[in-house]
Amino acid sequence: MDFFIKYLLSILIFFPLASVILLLFINKKNEGLLRNLASILSLVEFIFSVYLFVYFKPDTYKFQFVEKLNWISTFGASYFLGIDGVSLFLILLTTLLTFVSLISSYRYIKDHVKEFVILMLILETFMIGTFASLDVLLFYLFWEFMLIPMYFIIGMWGTGRRVYSAVKFVLYTLSGSLIMLFGLIYIFILHYDQTGNFTFNILRLYNTHIPINLQILLFIALFLGFAIKIPVFPFHTWLPDAHTEAPTAGSVILAGVLLKFGVYGFFRFAMPLLPGATLMLAPIVIIIGVIGVLYGALVSIVQKDLKRLVAFSSVSHMGFIMLGLFAMSVISVDGSILQLLNHGITTGALFLFVGMLYERAHTRQIADFGGIAKKAPILTTLFMISVLASIGLPGLNGFVGEFLILIGSFNHYMLLTIIAASGIIFAAVYLLWMFQRVMFQGITNPQIESFQDMDLREIITVLPLILLMFLIGFYPAPFLERIDPTVVHFLGMISRHGYIHNLIKLKMGLSNA
Amino acid sequence: MLDVSQVYNINFLEEGMLSVIPETIIIIFAFIVLFLTFFEKLSKSNNPYYLSLISIGFSMLYILMLSGRTIDGFYGSIVFNKFSVFLFIGILFSGFLTILMSNNYINNFEVPLPEYYSLILFGVASMMLLVSSNNLIMVFLSIEFMSITAYILTGYLKGNARSTEAALKYFVLGTFASAFLIFGSVFIYAATGHLNLYNIHFFIVNIASKGFVNFDNIKIYLAIGLILFLVGLAFKMSLFPFHAWTPDAYDGAPTPVTNFMATGVKIAAFAIFLRIFSLIYNFNIMNFNNILWLLAILSMSFGNIAALMSSNIKRLLAYSSIAQAGYILVGIIGGGYYGYSGTLFYLLAYVFMTAGAFAVVIIFENFDLMSLDIKKYSGIGYKYPIVAAAMTFFLLSLAGIPVTSGFMGKFYVFSAAIKSRYNLLVLIAFINSAFAAFYYIKIIVQMYMPEKEELIASSNGAQRGGMSGGTNLDKPSGDFGIVNGKINEGLMIVIFICLFFTLLMGIYPQLFINFAHNSISSLWNV
Repeated sequence: MDFFIKYLLSILIFFPLASVILLLFINKKNEGLLRNLASILSLVEFIFSVYLFVYFKPDTYKFQFVEKLNWISTFGASYFLGIDGVSLFLILLTTLLTFVSLISSYRYIKDHVKEFVILMLILETFMIGTFASLDVLLFYLFWEFMLIPMYFIIGMWGTGRRVYSAVKFVLYTLSGSLIMLFGLIYIFILHYDQTGNFTFNILRLYNTHIPINLQILLFIALFLGFAIKIPVFPFHTWLPDAHTEAPTAGSVILAGVLLKFGVYGFFRFAMPLLPGATLMLAPIVIIIGVIGVLYGALVSIVQKDLKRLVAFSSVSHMGFIMLGLFAMSVISVDGSILQLLNHGITTGALFLFVGMLYERAHTRQIADFGGIAKKAPILTTLFMISVLASIGLPGLNGFVGEFLILIGSFNHYMLLTIIAASGIIFAAVYLLWMFQRVMFQGITNPQIESFQDMDLREIITVLPLILLMFLIGFYPAPFLERIDPTVVHFLGMISRHGYIHNLIKLKMGLSNA
Repeated sequence: MLDVSQVYNINFLEEGMLSVIPETIIIIFAFIVLFLTFFEKLSKSNNPYYLSLISIGFSMLYILMLSGRTIDGFYGSIVFNKFSVFLFIGILFSGFLTILMSNNYINNFEVPLPEYYSLILFGVASMMLLVSSNNLIMVFLSIEFMSITAYILTGYLKGNARSTEAALKYFVLGTFASAFLIFGSVFIYAATGHLNLYNIHFFIVNIASKGFVNFDNIKIYLAIGLILFLVGLAFKMSLFPFHAWTPDAYDGAPTPVTNFMATGVKIAAFAIFLRIFSLIYNFNIMNFNNILWLLAILSMSFGNIAALMSSNIKRLLAYSSIAQAGYILVGIIGGGYYGYSGTLFYLLAYVFMTAGAFAVVIIFENFDLMSLDIKKYSGIGYKYPIVAAAMTFFLLSLAGIPVTSGFMGKFYVFSAAIKSRYNLLVLIAFINSAFAAFYYIKIIVQMYMPEKEELIASSNGAQRGGMSGGTNLDKPSGDFGIVNGKINEGLMIVIFICLFFTLLMGIYPQLFINFAHNSISSLWNV
C-alpha cells in the first residue's frame, strides 16, 4: 500500500496506457467486451484517483505525491510529478469524465469500437500527465501529444464537417502551443544565463528574474498558447466547430477537461513565471474575458443547433473564469478554480443530454424538438437540473463558483464585474429559452412521438455528475479547503512582485488606476 | 586520447589503412557483390541482398572496435574520430534500411540486381569517406564519388522515362554544384596556401590574431572561396535556392534510392558542412550566420509551401525534406556545443523518421506501382492498421509532435538557437512547423478519415442508417489499387527499427544526446 500511495501519480498516468496494451490483444469483432472492459478499467482508474483525494493533506500548499527521476539531464529535465489542491481536483475530474464518456458512448459509437476505446484511454494518460507534471518539458510533452487522440476522436467519429473541424482544432491549438513553447524555452534559457544551470523544474524557474519589457513579450507568447486552448474570445473560433462535430464523448472530454488546460496553464505557468507582466496586463485580460462572457452569451441566444449553443455557452463561462483568475483576490481565484470544476461537470452533463437527444431524434436543431417533457420525464428532470446548475441557481454548483468570482472581483474591477454579472442573466435567457423550446410546447416532429426515456445505463452516466452538482452546491467546503492554501500561496508568489508593479504605475502616473 | 600508432607501434601507412577500415570493408563487399554478376545463378537469388547487409554489419563492428580513438590517415586527409563514429552509424543505418527496403521493390523491375546493391554500398562508402575527410581535395573527391553513385541509382530504372529524366536533371545540376565546390576550394587555397582543413584553420586563427599586413586581400579571396564552397554544399544539402533538383530527383528515383538520398546524402552533406563550418567558416571573415539565417528561413518556408501544394507523396516528402534541412540548419546557426550536438541528434532522428515513412510508401507502391497519389491512401488506416499507425507516427515525428524523435530534435536545435539569441529565426521556424503540420495531417486524414464521396460503398453488411458519424467509415473497396498482398518482412523490419528508434529518441533521448555530445567534443580536438 505504501508503494501504491508513493507512486500513485505514475500509476494513474500509466494505468490507462497499460489498459491499452491489454485491449490491443482483444479481437476487434468483440465489441461488447471491448466496451465493458474499457469502462471497467476507467472505473478502476477513477477509484485509484479517489485515493489521491483521500490521502491528500488539505492544509498545505506544498506539492504532494511528489516523484522525481532523472530524465534528460542535459537539459535539466526530469520526470517530476506532484499535485497541489488545484491539480488534485482537475485529475479527479479527468478520471471521472473519462469514465462517464466511455459509458456514454455505448450507443453512439458503432464503428471501430476498439480504436475508440484505445484512443480515449491514451487521451486519459496524457491528460492526467499534463496536470501532474511539474517539469516544463514533461508538461509540454503531455500537453501537445494530447491533441492527437482528440484529433482522431473528432475526425473519425464526428459528424458533418468532421475533418475540417478536426484539422482546424489541431492547427489552432498547435500554433498556439508552439508559440508558447518558444516562450517557455526562452525562460529556460534566461534561467540558464542567470544561474548557469539548465533546468526545467518549474519550482526553480519561478525564481528567474526577467526584466519587465521581456516579461510582457513572453506573457503574450504564453498567452497565445493558453488562450487558444481556453478559448478566450478572439481565439475561440475552433471551439464551436470542434464541439459541434465531435461525438458526444469527445465533446464531454473537450469541454470538461481540455478547456481546463488553458486556465491551468495560466495558473501554473504563465502567471507565476511572469508576475510583473501579469500584474500589468491583468486589466486587459479581464476586459478580454468580460467581452468573452458577453459575446458567448449573446451568440448562444441566436444559435439554432443545440451543441453549438452549449459550445458558445462554454466561451461565456470561460470568460467568467478568466475574470476571477486575473482579478487576483483570494476569493475570486478560489471561485475561478471551483468554477473550472463546475464547468466541467455541468457542461459535460449538458453535452451528454444533447447527445442523448441526438441519438433519439437524429437531429440537433432546436426547431426540430418540442414536447419531449411528456415523453421522457426522467430526462427532462435531470436535464433541467443541469441547465439550472449552468445558469447558477443557488443550491447548485454553478452558483457557488460564480458568486465567489463576482464578490472576489467586485472590489478591484467594479464596472467590469457588473457587466460580467449580466452574463448570468443572458445565460438564463439562452438556456431556459432553449429548454422551453426543446422540452415543452407541442410535438411537431413525428420522430418525437416514439421518444424513449433514459435507460439505466444513461442514468448511471449522468448520475455522478448530478450528485456532484448538488454536493458542490450545498457543501463546497471539502473542495474549497483544499483549493484555498494553494491559491493563497499562488497569490503570494505574484504579489511578491507587486512592488515593482506599483513603481511602474507611479512612474506612468497611473497610481489611481 | 591515445595515439594508436604509439600503442600498436605501427607505421604511417598502416595507420592510414586503419583510418579507413570501415569504408574499406564496405568497398570490398561492394566489389564482391559486383562480381556476383558473373555467376548467373548466384546473382538471381537474394545473395547480393544478404551480402550487402552483412557488409554493413561488419563495418559497424569495426567502427565499434575503433570508436573512441582518433586516427589520422593519409597525411591528415582522413580523420577518424568520435565525430565520424556518430555519423558513420547514421550513414550505415541509412544504408542498412535502404537495402532492407530495396529487396521487395527492385525485384519488381527488370533491372540487374547485384549492380544495384553494389552501387548502394559504394554510395555508403563514399558518404563515410566524405564525413571523415579533412582535406578540401578529399572532400571534393568523395562528394563526386557520392554524387556519381547517386546519379546512377536515380536513373536505375532503365526505360522508365521519369527515372531517366530525374537522373539527367540531377546530373546536370549536380555537376554545376561540383564546379562551384572546386572553384571555391581554389579560392580558399589561393588565400591560405593549404588544403588541409586543420592547417587552414590554424592559418586563419593566426592571421586573425596577429593581424597580417595584407589581411584584407586574403579576406576577400577567402570570403569568395567560402561562399562558393557554401553554394556547392548547399546543393547537396538541398537548401532553398539550390534545391531545384530535389523534387524531381526524389520523385523519379526508385523509392529506396529516394530514401537513400534523403537520409544518407543529407547526413553526409550536413556532416561535412558542420565540420568545415566549425573549422574555417566561424571566424570574422564575414558573418556567415546571416547568410545561413536567410537560407534556413527560405528553405523551410519554401519547402513547406511547396509540400502543401503537392499531391504526390514522394514529392511531398521531397519538399518536406527541404524544410527539414532548414530546421537542421537552425542548429548549425545556433552553434556551440549545444547547437552542433543538436544538429547531429536531429540528423540521426531524421534518418529514422524519413526511412520509416519511405518504407510505408514502398509498401503501398509495391501493391500498386502507381499509388503515389495521396488520394489513394484513402482508408488504408483500417485495412492495414499496423502500417498505417506506423506511418502516422513517422508523420507526426516529421511534424514535430512530442513523444517522437522529431520533437526532441526540433526542441534541441531551436533551444540552441534561442540560446544564441536568434529569436526571430526560431519564431519563424516555430510558425513554419505549425504550418507544416497541416500537410502531414492531410495524409493522416486520408488514411483514417476518408470523405464519403471518395469511397465506394462496400458491402459491409451493416448499413447502420445515417445516424452516427461513424457510418461513413466503411472500408474502401479494392478499386483503389491496394490489393491484398503480403507485406515483405524486410519492410516490416525497417518499420519496426524506425519505430523503435523514433520512439526511444522521443521518450528517452539522453543516450543519444550523450553520444552526440561526445562526438562533438572531438570536432574541436584539432
